[in-house]
Amino acid sequence: MTPTLRSTDAEALARGASAGVDAMPADQPMHIRLQLIHEPIRLEDRLAVWRSEGLQGALVEFTGVVRGEEDGRRIVALEYEAYERMALKVMRAALHQLGQHHPCSAVEVIHRLGIVPVGEAAIWVGVASRHRQEALALLTGFMEALKRDVPVWKRRALSAGSVGNPAR
Amino acid sequence: MRVLFFAHLKDVTGCEEIVWSEVGPLTGAQIWQRLARQWPAMDALRPATRLARNCEFVEVEALFQPEDEVALIPPVSGG
Repeated sequence: MTPTLRSTDAEALARGASAGVDAMPADQPMHIRLQLIHEPIRLEDRLAVWRSEGLQGALVEFTGVVRGEEDGRRIVALEYEAYERMALKVMRAALHQLGQHHPCSAVEVIHRLGIVPVGEAAIWVGVASRHRQEALALLTGFMEALKRDVPVWKRRALSAGSVGNPAR
Repeated sequence: MRVLFFAHLKDVTGCEEIVWSEVGPLTGAQIWQRLARQWPAMDALRPATRLARNCEFVEVEALFQPEDEVALIPPVSGG
C-alpha cells in the first residue's frame, strides 16, 4: 500500500462540517468524522473545533498516548500501519451500530499512523451527546470494536537509535 | 485477484501484495492453500488471520471473484 498523507471519511466530513453538535433533533443521524493521519494529532485544536460547532451537553474525550514500555522493554516510539480503506469502513460501521444502542449527536475519531513517539497521541476520540451516559457507553463500545476489528496494527516498537532507520 | 498482506504477514511474504492474473473464482480455503504453497510459513499463521473481501470480513467458505481484493488480516492492535 502506498501510504497517503491523510485518509478521511469524505462522506462524513461533507455531512458534519458545520452542524451544531447538540442542535440536532434526536432522530437525526449521528455525525461521524474519521481521519487516519500521518502527522501529530493537534489535541489543542479539537475542543476549539467542537466549540465552534455549537457543542452543548456532554463531550467525552479519549486520548491514547504511546507508553515508554512495550512487552517489558523501553521504547521511544511505536510504528502504526493500517489497511486504511477498510479501517475507515469498519470504524464507521461499528459507530453506526453503537449509535443504535447509545444515541449520540456526533463522534470524531483521529488515528495517527506511521511513527508515533512516546508521549504523543496515537488516537483521539471525541463523542458528544445530550447526557454523559450515552457518550461514555459509545466510547467504550467503540474502543472495544477498535481493538477487535479495525485493521490498524502496531507494526513495531522502536528503541533508541532505531527511529531514524526502522528495519524493514 | 489482488491479495494484500499487512503487519508481520509482510515479513513472511516479503511483499505488500501479490496479483494472481489468471485465476477463476476461489474460496477462502483455496486462497489459503495457494498461499501456503508459496509461503509454507503462512500455514501456522492461518488460525489467527481473518480474510477480508473488498474491505469486509468474510468466512473461509466465502467465494472470491477474480476482480475482488483479498486482504489477510492478522490480529489488530490499533489505539
